Amino acid sequence: MFERILQMLIKEFLELKRDKWARFRLIVPPLVQMLVFGYAATFEVYHVSTIVLDRDHTQESRELISRFTFSHRFDIVRVAETDAEVTNGIGRSEAALAIVIHADFAKALRQGQAAPLQVIVDGTNSNTALLSLGYLDQIVTQFSADYTTDLIRRGAAGPKGKPIQVTIEPRPWYNADLNGKWFFVPGVVGSLTLVLVVSLTASAIVREREVGTLEQIIVTPIRPFEYILGKTVPFFLIGLAEVALVTLFGTLWFDVPFVGNPLILLLGTSLFLLSSLGLGLLISTVSKTQQQAFAANFLVVNPLFTLSGFSFPITSMPEPLQWLTCLNPLRYFLVVIRATFLKGTGLDALWPDLLGMAALGVALLGFSVLRFRKSLD
Amino acid sequence: MRLRRIKAIAVKETLQIRRDPISLLIALLMPFMQMTLLGYGVSLDVKHLPVCVFDREASQNSQALLKRFQASEYFTIVEGFDDYREVTTALDRGTCRIAIVVPQDFSERLSDTGSSAVQALVDATDTNTANVAIGYAQAVVSGFSASVELFVESLNGNPVARLQPVAAQSRVWFNEDLESRNFIIPGVVALVMALVGAELTSLTISREWERGTMELLISTPVTPMELMLGKLLPYFAVGMFDAGLCLGLAIFWFDVPFRGTLGTLFFTTSLFLIVVLGIGYLISTAIRSQVGAAQIGLLVTLLPCTLLSGFAFPIDQMPPAVQGVTYLVFARYYVTCLRAIFLKGAGLVDLAAPILAMILYAGIVAFLAARAFRKRLD
Amino acid sequence: MTAPPESPVVAENLVKRFGSFTAVDHVSFRIGRGEIVGFLGPNGAGKSTTLRMLCGLLRPSEGRAVVAGIDVVRDPESVRQRIGYMSQKFSLYNDLTVAENLRFFGGIYRVPRKERPERIRFATEMAGLAGRENSLVSNLAGGWKQRLALGCAILHRPPILFLDEPTSGVDPESRRRFWDLIHTLSADGITVLVSTHYMEEAEYCHRVALIDRGRLIQMASPAALKQHSLGGELLLVECEAIGVAMAALQEAPGVHDVAAFGNTIHILVDNAAAALQALPAYLAEHGAPLTRIERISPTIEDIFVQLVGAESRSAGLPS
Repeated sequence: MFERILQMLIKEFLELKRDKWARFRLIVPPLVQMLVFGYAATFEVYHVSTIVLDRDHTQESRELISRFTFSHRFDIVRVAETDAEVTNGIGRSEAALAIVIHADFAKALRQGQAAPLQVIVDGTNSNTALLSLGYLDQIVTQFSADYTTDLIRRGAAGPKGKPIQVTIEPRPWYNADLNGKWFFVPGVVGSLTLVLVVSLTASAIVREREVGTLEQIIVTPIRPFEYILGKTVPFFLIGLAEVALVTLFGTLWFDVPFVGNPLILLLGTSLFLLSSLGLGLLISTVSKTQQQAFAANFLVVNPLFTLSGFSFPITSMPEPLQWLTCLNPLRYFLVVIRATFLKGTGLDALWPDLLGMAALGVALLGFSVLRFRKSLD
Repeated sequence: MRLRRIKAIAVKETLQIRRDPISLLIALLMPFMQMTLLGYGVSLDVKHLPVCVFDREASQNSQALLKRFQASEYFTIVEGFDDYREVTTALDRGTCRIAIVVPQDFSERLSDTGSSAVQALVDATDTNTANVAIGYAQAVVSGFSASVELFVESLNGNPVARLQPVAAQSRVWFNEDLESRNFIIPGVVALVMALVGAELTSLTISREWERGTMELLISTPVTPMELMLGKLLPYFAVGMFDAGLCLGLAIFWFDVPFRGTLGTLFFTTSLFLIVVLGIGYLISTAIRSQVGAAQIGLLVTLLPCTLLSGFAFPIDQMPPAVQGVTYLVFARYYVTCLRAIFLKGAGLVDLAAPILAMILYAGIVAFLAARAFRKRLD
Repeated sequence: MTAPPESPVVAENLVKRFGSFTAVDHVSFRIGRGEIVGFLGPNGAGKSTTLRMLCGLLRPSEGRAVVAGIDVVRDPESVRQRIGYMSQKFSLYNDLTVAENLRFFGGIYRVPRKERPERIRFATEMAGLAGRENSLVSNLAGGWKQRLALGCAILHRPPILFLDEPTSGVDPESRRRFWDLIHTLSADGITVLVSTHYMEEAEYCHRVALIDRGRLIQMASPAALKQHSLGGELLLVECEAIGVAMAALQEAPGVHDVAAFGNTIHILVDNAAAALQALPAYLAEHGAPLTRIERISPTIEDIFVQLVGAESRSAGLPS
């Protein structure tokens, strides 16, 4: 029995070795995707294009504007003279943010009254807008605090008694610099593995069905489960290799830390691969041609990818969808990957996700094996 | 060029599309599925973030502060701890994403020095959510700060000290509720159109090669240009139908505000469709196997359109080198147009730049496609 | 330079190479108007390649082809309206109906509007598909598809037809019927070039071109070919141990050539009468007793084998 399985394994690897296209697919797209995701995928906000309209032209107003100029978050692209310029600037997407300082800004400040600052933000990209407003608030708060402190120091007319201020000190854990790459790159490991393993497994079997060699093999004394093992084990190994390759690349090229236990990653990967292989097998049972396999592949993998928490948080999804993601093995795998890379947590914290993957993996693989055996008859 | 030949090919292609289950699947099911998936699944709004609290003081003040967090729609307090280790575990496990730690001497320091701080331990693995959450947390605490100050001053009978001398009054334009959906869904429409258009047409020529009908076709007087026009016309019609479907879903189901004109929408969509179909056709002429063409079609559209079109990740925040690359991504221009038309009510003049880019793109693709197709077997 | 009107198809030293492999090796011929010319030869001989060059589907590596007075290499597009082509796989649109296929090709060839319905009806009836216009082509059996493909090729009344193995994989009854159609077309003055690997179909042609390994071995009418002196007389032998018999016969006196034909052996001998007498004993001696021996008249296939053998021998190749 093992002899037969071994023969199948050898055959699979030989075919893979000769298939230049497959080799290409195993190395180039993953690396390209890593690079693109690493560099292009970002929700961070730097260089917010800003228009400034200063109607006050006082020391205070210029001081405030300089705070923005010297912050690395805002890019002053235009100093406007009229309201129309501001309106057009935002309307034409020249700038994402506009700051308008009114004529009695400094006067209000000196008199201890509220000095209004008008801010217009282009809400088209709501995420960027939110973050920009947040940074703007920080700058304004700091400016206000400094101004007040200065007043008190100089003993000039100002608030009586001590100023009261409650602040919050954010302490980012696991990713102190809030480096976006540390979020995306580990995620790419998971999603790439899913896509690759599923499509490779499915197409390998379907190709045999198309070409007719499947029939040839069934006629031999090989037993169905030996055939399945022979088909899936190579891709299991390839999946492991992919994860290793992409992890290595991620840590070396993007300097993403890896503070956890590689063995846990190994365990997680193995469990995840069970599901991936099961899916590939399932797809091969419903596809008679490569083309059908390709379409089925896309229909299955795409939703799994989108609803996995890879780039868009699950907590932001509507409740019913959140429950649906519990059936998505990638969701759990991403948790494990991110935890192993950035948090360094152990089995005690990750066991629910590992269990989830195990359950899904067994179910998927079991179901697809049954279906596959039926389809052979 | 003969109209009759174009018509004959268009009629044939239409009949074939109607009878091909895969094409129908791509044309009808895929847009619907993608719109639903991405429309609901893709959101950057931070709501009901699980928060745990470690209140070491447990005073009226601290309780008042924490109540504000509970009241905010952005946060949901899931647990209160008495132990720092428990907080650590919760963050490690992911049961909460933020832990608010109120120090023992919170109120004391407030009355002594006038300023006090609470700590927010933020799970920063998801950097964006962390960033947004920090911003919201700061807002909650600012609100608390202002209320404390008012309270104290009113007790003392003093005029209220302006701790925030500068009061920023922000107005949000175009997407007043800052719903990430309004930002993302126009992008989804572009993504879906690109995907569907390219996938449909990428099969059209390869399919004829594989079935053997192409050999007969090239022995006839039909010219490459006639073939292209005849084949793409039905796909254009299908594409417009899909566009209508997606845009209809966007406006009526997802309630994305629509402030532009139908005319501008129609024009830019047609232009984009021409580009997309042309690219699919080009792929089809270059690759004679259907599976290969489909794969390349997906590769060329999915990745660039998702990552580099501005659909989810803002282009102006990318490194300059990458921004340069996005000029090659055809979907980028359509995404810009759609967002501007929906949210800003932009007209043709405002969109002159992306429209010209798309026209240029369409011209280049058409030229390449017409040249790439050779009426020969070798 | 255009060919005189009596030669609708002219090939001059056509050569086609694919890399280092020469598929067509200096083939030349001239076809007359209304002629039916059959290209005969085994698979891979270069028949299809030659036809495709004449249609402008392949570019010759060397040589000239002139079809309907037009130099195919220089101006392939002008040729296309004047010819009808049937490719090896019939290549109809399987997911379209009979009528839809005909309408499509009618449109492609721009059959004049007034003539269209009549031509389509003609083609439908010719194919025997009257009443089945709305059947999907995928539901048709081989013979019907074949005739339909022919119908699609003649809608625009081309003066020349190129048919690439139109009878492959079709039942004998349909094959005969098909050749009847071709004869009808030829009677109307249409020139037809047909390629086939069924040797017996040579009888249906005005002239036959024998092609083997890219070279035109002989081109003549079937009758002329049969009169071709084989250089001997032909005997047919049936026996159990064919392998042993063949080996023995190679050495037998008075035997020029031995070839296996199915489960029989054709022997070329000097003197049929003498051989009929001597061979039974000879074979019995060599352990291959025969069950039947008789004299036969040569078929095209015999001639082909002989000619090919002769070619190979003169070229120094194994036969």
